[in-house]
Amino acid sequence: MEYYVVVLLVYLGTDLLAAWGLNLEFGVSGIANLAFIVTIAAGAYAYAICTLGPPAAMGNFQQYVGGFTLPFPVAVAAGTLTGAVVGVLIGITGLKRLRPDYQAVAMLVVSLMAATIVSADTGFLNGNAGLGLIPAPFSDQDPEFQRWAYVAIVAVCCIAGYLVLRRFTDGPIGRTLRAMRDDEYAAAAIGKDIVAMRLMVQAVGGAFGGLSGALLVAFIGGWSPGAWNYIETLALLTAVIVGGMGNNRGVTIGTFLIAILILQGVQFLPQSINTIRIGLREDLGWIVLGVLTIVFIWTRPQGVVAEKRPRYGGSP
Amino acid sequence: MLVQAVEAIGFGIATGAVIALGAVGFSVQFGMSNILNITYGSLMTLGAYMGLYLIDRGINAWVALLIAGMVIGVVSVGFHRWLLAPLVRKGTRAFAIVIVTVSAGVVLQYVIVAFAGPDAKSYGEQSGQTFRFAGFLLTASQVAIIVLTLVLMLGLHLLLTRTTLGRAMRATASNRILAQSCGINTDLISDTAWLLSGALCGAAGVALAITTVSFDFTLGPIFLIPMIAAAVLGGIGQPYGAMVGGLVVGIAGELAASFANPEYSEVVAFAILILMLLLRPSGLFGSASATRRLAA
Repeated sequence: MEYYVVVLLVYLGTDLLAAWGLNLEFGVSGIANLAFIVTIAAGAYAYAICTLGPPAAMGNFQQYVGGFTLPFPVAVAAGTLTGAVVGVLIGITGLKRLRPDYQAVAMLVVSLMAATIVSADTGFLNGNAGLGLIPAPFSDQDPEFQRWAYVAIVAVCCIAGYLVLRRFTDGPIGRTLRAMRDDEYAAAAIGKDIVAMRLMVQAVGGAFGGLSGALLVAFIGGWSPGAWNYIETLALLTAVIVGGMGNNRGVTIGTFLIAILILQGVQFLPQSINTIRIGLREDLGWIVLGVLTIVFIWTRPQGVVAEKRPRYGGSP
Repeated sequence: MLVQAVEAIGFGIATGAVIALGAVGFSVQFGMSNILNITYGSLMTLGAYMGLYLIDRGINAWVALLIAGMVIGVVSVGFHRWLLAPLVRKGTRAFAIVIVTVSAGVVLQYVIVAFAGPDAKSYGEQSGQTFRFAGFLLTASQVAIIVLTLVLMLGLHLLLTRTTLGRAMRATASNRILAQSCGINTDLISDTAWLLSGALCGAAGVALAITTVSFDFTLGPIFLIPMIAAAVLGGIGQPYGAMVGGLVVGIAGELAASFANPEYSEVVAFAILILMLLLRPSGLFGSASATRRLAA
C-alpha cells in the first residue's frame, strides 16, 4: 500500500510536469502538438543511455548507442536538454503557415513516424523490446529511504518547474504568447517575432517533457515504444482540455483528475470485469478519456477552471 | 533486380488500389466539409471487423464488403450530422475538431477491442490461385480488389460528372453559400457525400483485411496515414488526385519494403506526407486557390 502511494505520487509529479509543458504549447500558445509524447520519450531514452553502462559490459543483451555511466543529476539534465532539442525539431514542422488542423495532423504523423523508426531500428535504442535495467538513484540505500527520497526529488523538480513555468505563462512573455495564439497577424504586426516565439515555446515545453520522461524512467526502470504510443499524448491533452486550457491551476486539477482518478481509478473496478478479458479495465479507461475530451470540447471548451481574461489598468 | 522491382511494383499497384479506395473517400469528406476526419481510420477497422463477423457466419467476402460499406456509410452520416456538423456550427476551432476526431477514433478503437479482443484476426484462406502476367505476381483477391477499385472509381467519376447529384456535390464543395442560393439543398448533399465516402471507407476496411494476412484493432489507424498521404499528394479534396496519389504511395512503399526494410514502407508514406505538407500542401497538381484554402 505504501509503495502504491509512492507510485501515485511519482506518476502525478511526472504527469504534472508533462501537462504543464503541453499547456504552455497548446493552451497558452495555440500549438496543437500531438507529438508531445516524443519529447517525453526523448528525455527517457537520453536518461537511459546516459546512466546505463556500455552495452558490452552487460553482456550485450540489449543494443543501444552510448552507455556513459553518468550520475543521476547529469543524466536528468541531459534528458531535459534532449527534450528541448526534440521539441524544437517537432516545432519546425509547425512553422509553415498552414491551417492549424493540418499542423496538428503533421505532428501526429511525426509521433507515429518516430515510434516506427525507433521500433524498426534495433541497433539504436533496442527497437521494439525497449531498454531495461535502467539505474535508479540511491539504489545502494535502504529501499524505503530510496522510495521517499525519490518522491522528494520529483517534488523539488515540480516546484522548481512551476516557478520556471510561471515566467513563461504569466507576465510579458505570457501575454505575448496569448496574443500570438489569439491573432498571429496582429501579434506580428506589433513587432513580435512569431517564429522565434514558437520555437522558444517548443524548446521550453519540450524541456518539461524531457524532464518528465527522465524522472519517470529512472523510477520505472524500463522504456520501450509501447510506452509512448501517440494515445499517451491524448491523455495529457485531455488533462489540459478538461482542466482548462492556458491556465496552470486548471491544468493541475485536470492532471489529477485524468492521470490519477481515471487512469489509476480503473484499476479499482471490480476484478470480475477482467475475468471477461484481461486488460478490459484499461480499455474502459481510454474510452472514458476520449468521451470526456469530446464532451468538454462540446459543452465546456474553457475547461473546469476557465482562463482569466487579462485586465489592464484603469476602468473601461 | 529488375524482376524484384517489377514484382514490387505489382504489389504496389495492389496496395495502391486499396489505399486509393480509402484516400478517395477521405478526400471527398474533406472537400465537402473541410474537416480532417481522423476517425476515418477507426471506421475502417470497424468495417473490417464487421466483415469478419459476416464471413464467420458463412457470407461471401465480397458480399460482406458490400454490406460493411453500406453500414459504415450510414454510421458516417450520423457521425457527421450529429457530432461534427453541430461543432462546426458552434464555431469550434479547427484544431479542436481534429482533436475531437482523434478522440472519437480512440474511443471507437477501444470499443472494438472491448468487444472483439486485442488478438490478431484473419479472414482465412481467400484464394490459393496466383496470376502472373507482364512480370507481375498477384493473387486472385488482389486482382479482384484492383478491378473493384477501378469500377468504383469509374462509377464515382460518372456520378460526379454526368449526374445532377454529382454536379450539385461539386458545386457545394467549391462554394457552399453560392450553391445554397442556387436552390441546392446543401445539407442533403453533405449527407450524400458522407454516405458515399463512408461506404468507400467501410469497403476499404474489408479490402485491407482481405489483402493483409492478419489484422487487429490498429488496422485502420495504420493505413490511414498512407491514405492521408495519398489524398494530400493528389491535392486534398480532389478525388482524381487521390486515385493517383494512392498508386504513388502504394508503389513507393512496396519498393522501399522490397529493397530496404519492410518497416520502411510505412516510413515512406510518413515522409511523403510530411514533405508534402511542408513543401506543397495543395498537392502535386494544386492550384493557387487550393493553396489559399489551406493557409493559416
